[in-house]
Amino acid sequence: MRRTHRAKRKLVVPAVAAIALIAVACTSGSDSGSTSASGSAGGSGAPIELTMWHGYGDVIDNQGQTNYEAKSLTDLVNEFNDANPGIHVNLVYTAVNDHALEKLTVGMQGGQQPDIAYQYGTSIPQLSTAPSIMDLTDRVQDPSFKWDDFVQGARDAATFDGHVYGIPALIDNLAIVYNKDMFASAGIDPPTADWTWDDFRAAAQTLTDPSKQQWGWAFPTDATEDTVWHYDAMLWEAGGDILNADNTQAAFNSPAGVEALTALQQMAVTDKSVYLDQQNTGKTDQLFNSGNIGMLVTGPWALSAYPDVDYGVQVMPTFGNGPHTTIAGPDMWVMFDNGDGRADAAWQFMSWLTAAQQVKADSMEAGHLPTRTSVGQAPGFQEAFDKKFPGEGLFVQNLENVTKARPVLPTYDEISRIMGEAIVTVMLGQAEPQQALDDAATKVNAVLAGG
Amino acid sequence: MFVLPSVLLVALFSIFPVVWGFVLSLQKASLISPNRPFVGADNYTRIASDPVAVKAATNAVIYTFLFVPSSIILALFLAVALNQRIRLIRFYRLAVFIPVAVSTIATGVMFMWVFDANFGIANWTLGRVGLGPFGWFDSPSGAMPSLVIMTIWGWLGFDTIIYLAALQGVPHELAEAAAVDGATRWSTFRTITLPLLGPATLLLVVWSTISAVQLFDEVYFVTKGGPLGATSVPVFYIYKLAFTSSYGFSAAGYAAALAYALFVVILILTLVQFWMGNRVVHYSS
Repeated sequence: MRRTHRAKRKLVVPAVAAIALIAVACTSGSDSGSTSASGSAGGSGAPIELTMWHGYGDVIDNQGQTNYEAKSLTDLVNEFNDANPGIHVNLVYTAVNDHALEKLTVGMQGGQQPDIAYQYGTSIPQLSTAPSIMDLTDRVQDPSFKWDDFVQGARDAATFDGHVYGIPALIDNLAIVYNKDMFASAGIDPPTADWTWDDFRAAAQTLTDPSKQQWGWAFPTDATEDTVWHYDAMLWEAGGDILNADNTQAAFNSPAGVEALTALQQMAVTDKSVYLDQQNTGKTDQLFNSGNIGMLVTGPWALSAYPDVDYGVQVMPTFGNGPHTTIAGPDMWVMFDNGDGRADAAWQFMSWLTAAQQVKADSMEAGHLPTRTSVGQAPGFQEAFDKKFPGEGLFVQNLENVTKARPVLPTYDEISRIMGEAIVTVMLGQAEPQQALDDAATKVNAVLAGG
Repeated sequence: MFVLPSVLLVALFSIFPVVWGFVLSLQKASLISPNRPFVGADNYTRIASDPVAVKAATNAVIYTFLFVPSSIILALFLAVALNQRIRLIRFYRLAVFIPVAVSTIATGVMFMWVFDANFGIANWTLGRVGLGPFGWFDSPSGAMPSLVIMTIWGWLGFDTIIYLAALQGVPHELAEAAAVDGATRWSTFRTITLPLLGPATLLLVVWSTISAVQLFDEVYFVTKGGPLGATSVPVFYIYKLAFTSSYGFSAAGYAAALAYALFVVILILTLVQFWMGNRVVHYSS
């Protein structure tokens, strides 16, 4: 679930960006169009035009900085277009990822869906009902595609009711990112792999100093999925689950759920050591980068937002002897069949884009964790990756701690909203954990019962 | 023949959506799936028993009662102040009107800075005189008043210009005659100017009420309905229902029904306001 820290700055530019990207894509395509067409998708004549929507932003952002996530994708698309004269992929930046599903929904109303779109994995069950979505179940079984090479959690998230609807585009996970200098000046030891949440709480309290606008930790309290997935990891660490095994009942109001939420309550309400980011439009990242926040629980995408901080990365704290369970938010490339042979062309492109060689190139250019196990486990990869992107190596290792996934259900967004409201109610000091979770469980059960 | 293109455009962009929206309001529909069974009036009967809709309606009422009177009274005060013959009057008038021309998003960004609970200039300034700190947009009790302050700032210039135009239409002879008869400035204003501003006031009340009930941009951008639903208003809830699935996967039909209900409410409100207005407003001097 890659949330962009650049969300705020980009609000004004998407339309311009889209036009610019189309223009760039069209210009670069005209070169390859003149060479004789021999791509597998078509004979002579105009190439098959494909449209691909993404949320990485512009290659050069509006502050003049190179956006390596967008650049990596653009470079790969150009490489494909040059090598395959029969197909031309147009890359369009539509919206930040939090709004990707809305954009696609609106696009589908006018029959203007792209051939390929970047979507959160949690949207797969809803998108599976779209009439033109491509069911990729048979295609991914092609041995040359090596479907089983993708990380398990990502494959699970791409699959709904036994059908595959997405190809993993990005995986991540949550870990502690901390400011080394703030720990040193507070005279406390930096986080270790043996940390419990009690250690985390104590450190957060020591690092907090209201007179200096300084907090130990920050938490997104906008009651969105961003709130919920931070809590999910803690819930799983405490031994709890979101729903029961067959997804018919809420399970988060268990003692484990209460333990996890109580830990949040103690830090947010009792200690006031947490910066509560209500709007969640990037302020947390800015405050961490300016040395006002000591620790974050965040993902690999965020590291590039902290150029001014000497930071360290450590796995999640545990509850006592429990596991270091973290959460992964796999994002997906979802494909639509728009007729005229475009589906096969789109598949040809996607199987190239998500092959091991391109996955590795994207990781080294953009700092994305490799979606394929063979890439992440290749000798020397983690060292080289961590050298280029300090801290990322731990996130690659931390993929081992991704042992659970959020339920794959069409009603997931509604469940997430209900849980998010409960978590925030407690963190704002307006309810007790058990009561808030019980109320939420009642509502979730009604949703699951089809109410 | 010349009006045909316009007629077609109106039909395409106004009438078609209106009809389609009504059909949608009778269905259990998501905007993604083509499977949209008809459910009759279910979407309409559901509204009254939906706590989120009731909360959104309550928030709209609170917002309207805070926003409409305060913005109109402030605008009247400003218009009178700007109706003087003083130096730099054009500059002052421009300064009051500029916020109207500023986009909502820019206004939102600015107020998010000003009202930042930890780093904002509002808390800093109030802290100097021993007040606060306030949570502003971050506090469940403070978010709605903060929203009211922000939108008044954004719309005050519009109301002021309307009043200013109306004030300049008040005949001087009436005020002079009253002065000759020994009336004070206050009683002249109360008994002559104010009644003559009646039509402008009616316009502003109707206009502001409609805008207040349809509040969306500021909520969408700044508070996103939060914290904890404190600023969730009807149009924002309709948007959430139709374009996200956080209130149910197949809620677009229900969203359409709510939109129709909102239309009826606004229609009734406006008719009542005109009916009441016509009993107290004098249109000729």
